[in-house]
Amino acid sequence: MSAAAPFQRLVYYSRNEVDGDADALDAAIDEILSLSQRNNAQADVTGALLFNTGCFGQVLEGPRRAVEATFERIQRDPRHSDVTLLAFETTDARAFPNWSMAYVGAKPAQAVRYNEIAASSGFDPSRMTANRLLETLHGLAMEKEA
Amino acid sequence: MGKDFAQPPHFTPKDRPLSAHPLPLSEPAQAASAEPEAYLAALVELATPVLLADAGGRVSFVNRAATALLGCTAAPAIALDALFASCGVGGRIALPDGSAPQRFAQLKLSDGRAVNVEARLLPDGGAALTLTDVSAFVREAERARRDPLTGLVNRVTLHATLGRLLQAGKPLTLMALDLDRFKSVNDTLGHPIGDTLLRKVAERLGTVAEDGDVVARLGGDEFTILKPGSFTREQIEIIAKRIVDLVGRTYALEGHMIHIGASVGITQAPHDGSDNDVLMKNADLALYRSKAEGRGRYRFFEQKMDEQMQARRAIELDLRQALALQEFELAYQPQVDLATQEVVGFEALLRWRHATRGLVSPLEFIPVAEETGLIGAIGEWVLRTACRDAVQWPEAITVGVNLSPLQFRNPSLAQTVMSALASSGLAAERLELEITENALLEDTDTVLVLLKQLRDLGVRVSMDDFGTGYSSLAYLQKFPFDRLKIDQSFVRGMGANPEASAIVRAVAALGASLGIKTTAEGVETEEQLAAIRNEGCTHVQGYFTGRPMALADARALLVQPRKVAAIVEEHGL
Ligand SMILES: Cc1cc2nc3c(=O)[nH]c(=O)nc-3n(C[C@H](O)[C@H](O)[C@H](O)COP(=O)(O)O)c2cc1C
Repeated sequence: MSAAAPFQRLVYYSRNEVDGDADALDAAIDEILSLSQRNNAQADVTGALLFNTGCFGQVLEGPRRAVEATFERIQRDPRHSDVTLLAFETTDARAFPNWSMAYVGAKPAQAVRYNEIAASSGFDPSRMTANRLLETLHGLAMEKEA
Repeated sequence: MGKDFAQPPHFTPKDRPLSAHPLPLSEPAQAASAEPEAYLAALVELATPVLLADAGGRVSFVNRAATALLGCTAAPAIALDALFASCGVGGRIALPDGSAPQRFAQLKLSDGRAVNVEARLLPDGGAALTLTDVSAFVREAERARRDPLTGLVNRVTLHATLGRLLQAGKPLTLMALDLDRFKSVNDTLGHPIGDTLLRKVAERLGTVAEDGDVVARLGGDEFTILKPGSFTREQIEIIAKRIVDLVGRTYALEGHMIHIGASVGITQAPHDGSDNDVLMKNADLALYRSKAEGRGRYRFFEQKMDEQMQARRAIELDLRQALALQEFELAYQPQVDLATQEVVGFEALLRWRHATRGLVSPLEFIPVAEETGLIGAIGEWVLRTACRDAVQWPEAITVGVNLSPLQFRNPSLAQTVMSALASSGLAAERLELEITENALLEDTDTVLVLLKQLRDLGVRVSMDDFGTGYSSLAYLQKFPFDRLKIDQSFVRGMGANPEASAIVRAVAALGASLGIKTTAEGVETEEQLAAIRNEGCTHVQGYFTGRPMALADARALLVQPRKVAAIVEEHGL
């Protein structure tokens, strides 16, 4: 209703609960991404997802109701647990206006490359503040785009 | 339409707009008999919706009321199924034949209304179909079965289903569930958000439920899942864990982040019983235990829970009379300053001496007093009595009085304290109120406001059982406590494990740097006394420096202070 800050942004990290090897995890991430990209585009939600060291990190942004509904579905997903919210705030502009759900970082199967990214990004979501996670995801997404 | 469909099912509302004209698609069979037009006209205008189909299942006639009900017109000679499909009607009806001259079905109209269809065989092999709008009744029945807020079934339906299954001797599991901290969400964010939250909880429970499970809301924040079938404890445990996990995950609602938890009580038939009420009670008892043992978990029913509950009830009955019968007394335990070796205060400890039970442990009756709200009156009695007693001591030392977290729910706490001070004549700074971290756990801001009011009266405030709660350090920043009382578990642990010593040392150092006194509790031996002194505690309270004693003995101790010094001397303090 208020004229200011039309978007809601939600940043969280969670613990992976997908059992199995890297391939199984790849498949799960692929499925999550394709679902997310379809659902989010429809709901006007954008954001980024990262997987590393057993954790997911995710930014969701968009109209408040849409973000809340998307997050509620994500919360019910048994593929992760211990969802820790880092931020839930209003914002004037999206950080990921062009991505229904950008995936940053490599697939677990490409373990080597993935470790490189993990190292270069220093991504350990459980030790990050919302801003750092947001910036890291943003930086990685831009890099990937370039 | 502005009508609430309260009419009986055979009556079609007259004020329904007629959207189309009747279609006599072919000559009715009766046309050849006397006054056929009159019959036809009557059929057209009949308030009951009627369709006629020929032997091939094609629609030959639709009267006005039927057209209005279906909300669309029929193409000539359209097949009955096609007519229904084109009108968006869900479901179908098989036409009657010689073997079944009468058939029934329920259809769902595109606008959600439910319609009963009765098809009767006609002499020419066709069928006459009469439609009855039963949506009002279906809705009424649904309403009677369901909780309007969440759409889950209600208590009545749960009982009926449970009764049916038990009667048939079917095995089943009943899981009673309620929400932790729901009340404070309702209080702080308002009922509309509380209602939305209940709906989300219902949805989450729906995702755990499997085909055949019944999820019910019994009212408030109480839910129950009825799971028909035979399941092992292990299987149910997995589900219970999933429920606790799922319901406990953060909610993002209307811009708020909401954290609640769930406790679950489980009972199984026929293992624990095979009677409706018994099973519901079992589930409640297990739930009660699950909550009592710590929030956010599940418990299976055990027969002994019933006995424990009976015992608790008996205590409650006696407790209700204890004040009137003057069965409470206070014992006073000395608090000693390690620097001066002097008694600088007494903590008032509540004793309940029951005529037949004897001395009842506070561990046994305080929880009951808190649950029943009796703690309010009992707490006030303790406060007033302790103030009156302390006034008569020969020295102006402090008296420590414990406050239950529940007493902070009463906004008039400061008035009560003021009144106790005024009527006894005790100086405010001689009263030291001891609170536990639990008091600060819920509604922290309200409690802090109350603490500040108390502090403004001049009363001292100490934090009891320090180290056993949650985020003590944050509280220290929010309120300037006069004293930290280090929980006796740490003092006891000091000999055996180095962590306990490290914690005592850390708290003492924390106290020193914040200018807060630190009292080590539970000191029973000379070694412990030396140890806590060594770690830097400023005060001590425990059996070694004085057991809880009657008022007269406390007074005597103050009159001959050498007595303490002597004990202490003897043990080489
Ligand atoms: C880490 C993680 C992130 C997810 N992100 C999204 C997302 O951004 N959008 C989305 O629609 N689903 C996302 N999902 C998938 C949802 O949890 C859910 O499976 C999906 O929305 C389908 O929900 P439904 O089966 O209730 O339709 C994510 C799942 C996980 C585990």
